[in-house]
Amino acid sequence: MTAKKSLGIDTEELASCVSCGLCLPHCPTFRVTGEEWASPRGRISAMRQVQDHGLAVDESFLASMDSCVQCRGCEPACPSGVPFGSMMEATQAELARRRRVDWRQWGFWVLGHRWLLNLLSRSLAVVQRLRLVPSKRLGLPKIPLVQERLRATGNDVWLFTGCVMDAWQRSTHASVKRVVESAGAGVALPGPGAACCGALSLHAGLEDHAHALAARTMKALEGSAPILVDSAGCGAVLKEYGKHMGTPEAVAFSERVMDVHEWLAAQADQLPSVGERRRDVTVAVHDPCHLRHVQRAHQPVADVLSRYATVVTLDDEGLCCGAGGAYAAMQPELAASIRDRKLEAINRSGADIVASANPGCTIHLANAGVVVRHPLEIVDEVIDYDG
Amino acid sequence: MKFRKADPLMRDLRRVLPSDRVRVAPLERSIMGRDASIFEGGRAGPVCFPISTEEVQGCVDAARRHGRAVVPRGAGTGLAGGAVPLEEPVVVVATKMNRLLSVDAEQRVAWVQPGMINLDLSRALAPFGLHFAPDPSSQQVCSLGGNVGTNAGGPHCLALGVTSAHVLAAEVVLMSGESVVLGDAGGWTPGLDLRGAYVGSEGMLGVTTAIAVRLTRNPPAVETLLLAFDSVDAAAQTVSAVIADGIVPAAIEMMDKNIIWAVENFVGAGFPTDAAAVVIVEVDGLPGGVAAEADRVAELAVERGGSVRRATDDEERALIWKGRKSAFGAIAQIKPNYYLHDTVVPRTRLAEVMNQVYEIVDEHDLQVMNVFHAGDGNLHPLLLYDGREPGIMDRVHAAGSAIIEASLAVGGVLSGEHGIGIEKRDFMPLMFSEADLDAQARLRRAFDPEEMANPGKVLPTGASCADVKALDNIPEGVWG
Repeated sequence: MTAKKSLGIDTEELASCVSCGLCLPHCPTFRVTGEEWASPRGRISAMRQVQDHGLAVDESFLASMDSCVQCRGCEPACPSGVPFGSMMEATQAELARRRRVDWRQWGFWVLGHRWLLNLLSRSLAVVQRLRLVPSKRLGLPKIPLVQERLRATGNDVWLFTGCVMDAWQRSTHASVKRVVESAGAGVALPGPGAACCGALSLHAGLEDHAHALAARTMKALEGSAPILVDSAGCGAVLKEYGKHMGTPEAVAFSERVMDVHEWLAAQADQLPSVGERRRDVTVAVHDPCHLRHVQRAHQPVADVLSRYATVVTLDDEGLCCGAGGAYAAMQPELAASIRDRKLEAINRSGADIVASANPGCTIHLANAGVVVRHPLEIVDEVIDYDG
Repeated sequence: MKFRKADPLMRDLRRVLPSDRVRVAPLERSIMGRDASIFEGGRAGPVCFPISTEEVQGCVDAARRHGRAVVPRGAGTGLAGGAVPLEEPVVVVATKMNRLLSVDAEQRVAWVQPGMINLDLSRALAPFGLHFAPDPSSQQVCSLGGNVGTNAGGPHCLALGVTSAHVLAAEVVLMSGESVVLGDAGGWTPGLDLRGAYVGSEGMLGVTTAIAVRLTRNPPAVETLLLAFDSVDAAAQTVSAVIADGIVPAAIEMMDKNIIWAVENFVGAGFPTDAAAVVIVEVDGLPGGVAAEADRVAELAVERGGSVRRATDDEERALIWKGRKSAFGAIAQIKPNYYLHDTVVPRTRLAEVMNQVYEIVDEHDLQVMNVFHAGDGNLHPLLLYDGREPGIMDRVHAAGSAIIEASLAVGGVLSGEHGIGIEKRDFMPLMFSEADLDAQARLRRAFDPEEMANPGKVLPTGASCADVKALDNIPEGVWG
């Protein structure tokens, strides 16, 4: 077993960075600050100072760690294959253990309880309509008052519905479900056990909570059918259950997980053609970090979408938009600066609308006035289901 | 040393910069204590992030008034320790000065700020069909100010020349606090070529605040060939044969067996992992000439037992270059640390020196990989090691010295493009006489009489007749 030291980071992992700096331009917080402490190399250096050289965990260390979006854009850029995400998760877990009170855990606890989340969401929707909350300043989307009910149509594939996305953007699931069904598959829906994948808890270092949610999710999505996910952040974590839990069941579970576009791209010949409704719009594909950098499966989105719309890619090499799950709420200033770069790339592309396969990115970009849809919502609108 | 708010230096710096752009937290100062070289143990004083020439002047002025040295820093990707701060100097970081100031596409000149990333400049110039020719392997991250400081090279400098040939003028803040422009953006410099002296001076003459760069037209046609050989000798002979044939390719790069494996593992570009060496040759220019030259290069390779693969499109070309340019970072798949040398030897002696390098490394029980600019004889042997192994650094340094001596013995030089920095400072007397070094020290003092700009770098102790206090005191542990 590898020795563990004060931050609990694997010593081999921590030693694996050669400080070449090739990650720097791929780090959104380095890009907007130009400061080493806000770069992957600087953060690793800071972890080494604490874990190897006994420097105290102080405010500047916390600022360095907490400013990380955990987009993991540094990982594919790293020729040495440094597992930055794993080191950051270990660090966050240790920092969470050291915090006596962490209000975030109450927020994330709600995510695991679908009835409560729905209740709170509906209350929030009412309060929003009474104009009692500054939604824009808080980065909140307009939450629906009434949501359509999704019904299972078979058991060829599972559709993972998640927490916030199900409570706030269920109409996206409905679109995704119709498109998947059009390829000839019956869709099964998980019960309340699979209420939340645990991604936000994991990124905040709340490992125990994340593992509890993972155990429930795995139980709710039993069998051997593929598990399709339409939220890139959830998909990334579900695919890493095997790594995090280390059990054979978790490994087998993770192998069944696919981003819904990966699955659709593999069934391309089953998909209906584009109907008369095809509009003359240009769609810019925004690659969510956890699809591009973590799952490394962003290409199928463009492959599927380009059958139904004119697709352009952004020229920023998949640099993060700053949403980062709860990041936009925790670090609003950095998140907005990071988003400004993305908005420039979107403007340069000349696209009419933006497709985003991750709810966090959708909310964050929409708050800046961008027209953002889930890729399969765009497909759902123009597909000729009868054709 | 702690830098408190009440410290007179801090007070003066905060008069010039808002407090969030002068950083003194111990963690941040230690993070800024190193660059991409092997030298650990440097320590920054206050870390300043100016955004204008006036602010740089203010930082330099404050440092001077309080007798503190100034170390300019770009992206921190230098390999010779040039940006490693010794004795807690004021570190002036250029990363927030990263704008393209102006482009004159007709005159092919652009003014840029020093913190702009090399590749960002070429990307911004793409709509004009122009680019900045020097393309160090770190071009996706290294800054143009750093390129000026080290007189950086890159694969495509074989035909077009290194940074000095592409810098028309530099705006520099001298240690007096005065801002001057060396050279002329129009390309006509009256008097002594101070611009020429400045490019490659590794931060010892002042702080760069703006650069007028020469822009190069994108070539209308490009051919990239990947040549594979069963022996390093055959590869080296092919390199010599290409040049001897009168062809000056845009780039000729060579990689040996060990590095091919590491790189292929990262990029999956289809590099032949069973070859003893591969050579990447790129020819560019007008379509007819390019095709003829590429054919001739292929012929010369085949005559020497090589196999030839030609990139069929830009994507394949980009992948081959990605492999070449990520080679250094890919090392950590094998060992967590590397020490990269940068000597230059006559092209005709390449194979001979490489074989010596293999012997030296065997003698010191180390591993080596070679990936380098073969066209101009610029060797880059990478010594691989795990810094946690006791006594390893002695072996690494001993092997390094032997490689340098072997290179100099055949008429080579200490550094092709990475600079001298801390790394090769003490090897300078192997190459230069006392009179040479004295002349260099006097040139430096003409710009910076107090030797407050990046002290402790490049020029070895005792090189000057004056009492050079800063040079004696490299903190313990700097030889990481």
